Amino acid sequence: MTDKDYLMLAIETSCDETSVAIVRGGREVLANVVSSQIETHRRFGGVVPEIASRKHVETITRILQEAFEQAGVRRGDIDAVAVTQGPGLIGALLVGVVAAKSLAMALDVPLIGTHHIAGHIYANRLIGDIVFPALALVVSGGHTELVLLEREGVFRIVGRTRDDAVGEAYDKVARALSFPYPGGPYIDKLAQTTEEEVELPRAWLEPDSFDFSFSGLKSAVLAEINRAKMKGEALNQGALARGFQASVIDVVTTKAMRAAQAFGVRQLLLCGGVAANRGMRERLTSLCEAARLPLLIPPPSLCSDNAAMIAAAADLKWRRGAFTPLDMVAGAQLSLEEWSVSDDSVSS
Amino acid sequence: MNGSNRPGTLLAFDTSTGTLAVSLYRDGRVMEASQSFAERNHSVRIVPEIQEMMRRHGVHREDVGAIAVGRGPGSYTGVRIAVSAAKTLAWAWDKPLVGVSSLEALAFGAWLKIRQEASAQERDAWIVPLMDARRGQVYGARFVASAAGRDLGIEEVVAGGAWSRADEDGIRLIADWSAELAAQAKEAGVALWFVGETAPFAALDGAFTLPFAMDGGAIGPLAADRLRRGRADDVHAFAPNYTQMTEAEVKLQAGEARRTP
Repeated sequence: MTDKDYLMLAIETSCDETSVAIVRGGREVLANVVSSQIETHRRFGGVVPEIASRKHVETITRILQEAFEQAGVRRGDIDAVAVTQGPGLIGALLVGVVAAKSLAMALDVPLIGTHHIAGHIYANRLIGDIVFPALALVVSGGHTELVLLEREGVFRIVGRTRDDAVGEAYDKVARALSFPYPGGPYIDKLAQTTEEEVELPRAWLEPDSFDFSFSGLKSAVLAEINRAKMKGEALNQGALARGFQASVIDVVTTKAMRAAQAFGVRQLLLCGGVAANRGMRERLTSLCEAARLPLLIPPPSLCSDNAAMIAAAADLKWRRGAFTPLDMVAGAQLSLEEWSVSDDSVSS
Repeated sequence: MNGSNRPGTLLAFDTSTGTLAVSLYRDGRVMEASQSFAERNHSVRIVPEIQEMMRRHGVHREDVGAIAVGRGPGSYTGVRIAVSAAKTLAWAWDKPLVGVSSLEALAFGAWLKIRQEASAQERDAWIVPLMDARRGQVYGARFVASAAGRDLGIEEVVAGGAWSRADEDGIRLIADWSAELAAQAKEAGVALWFVGETAPFAALDGAFTLPFAMDGGAIGPLAADRLRRGRADDVHAFAPNYTQMTEAEVKLQAGEARRTP
């Protein structure tokens, strides 16, 4: 077996998707099974952690089985087991972590604890080559971060949200407009339906800051809804959604481009669940074209939580022989920077 | 009983309480049962503990006849740790999976200790395992241990009916329930034993108490009996027994009930 054809099985259970992937050589996805719990959580208006954990334990071996069937490989062919170690909902993480440890022991192969955000970033390696230094714009339900990768596998967070994550703001605004959970895609669609736009504020923060803040914007949307209600006016939902989306995309993409320039990166990587947002993809694509900055965006199936991206990130550790002992601790707040690879002894 | 229907070595574990209990069981005998009390750390230690115990006894995957696991009730997160490990191991190794009630394992382990005490054996006994479920509640059940079972081997006790269940696993208010049981036990002329997490409950009148930590060695004989009866579980469908819905589901149901006239 060489590094090019080793088989990694990866498990991701950090939130409300139970996912198992089998990936060859760190890049070739043989199976990427995702069992979403969205239908279950919708009636609660958001993810209920205890229910998410219950679903994971009910589903996990079925998803494992399905991944092997899709990949057409046998259990004995697996060379390593990777798993999301954090961050995420602790009860949900634990199901995947314990399953992964058990599987690593059962198959007598190494375990690789993997950072969820490193996974989102390295989803891009499943579709192309990452050129360093690179800047990753991570936008999801739980995260909004600008991550600088000066070299392979080394992560430095240069900007982060100070309050809500982008996806969280989308879901809250969608709820205020009475869309079911998760509401982000409804806002994206609604915003495309009109040319009218309610002008909403942009939080730029300090001039040199790459941080984000979305709570003020969310409040402005709620205030607009209230204002219309008080005056008995019909609310122009499309224009409000468009205004909200315009503000988010303007701030996020402008800061990303500014950071890309400040750090002299050679590539921009968009990732995370909100990277499936059409408005976001289009704007960043045109900005990068204008700046002649290469841009990678994974297809939507690799943007939302999935285990293939975990295998792609775990490949960094596999190639360095950096395995994780079976007494690994899952971390709801696991640090991305500390998860960085620690040496240059890479076999390619 | 001949050798052919022996299930091989049972790998048994439970993490429903503060105790990480792991054991190996074979031919009616507990090979080793370990207990560790690293509260809230079961996800860290469970797999190394299993691996080390198998190595100590030279037990390889081919030797494992079945995976036995305590399926709760107990700590939600705790129960999921053992069940996740058990499902994955059973699936990866193609072994039968046998779930046993964590309360029954707790009760049975305690009774194996109780029956060694001469004074405790003359009457039939009700063994009532308790796990603290907070706010005056307990996870509990009731088992009947007949005096006839005092001298039997541990598998014969289970197989021969000297050990049987009388009340299902459930969550109950300890104050009401313990008083009720005491009155019933008195009337029935049986010895009433509260075992397990008895410490938080000061007044358990009319009963004996045995503070007792989960003994993994008690899972083996219970699981072996289920296997003999052909009652192994479906690996994919197997889930913990939480005995109650989540708070979110309870609130949602209450809300729907209010809206429905």
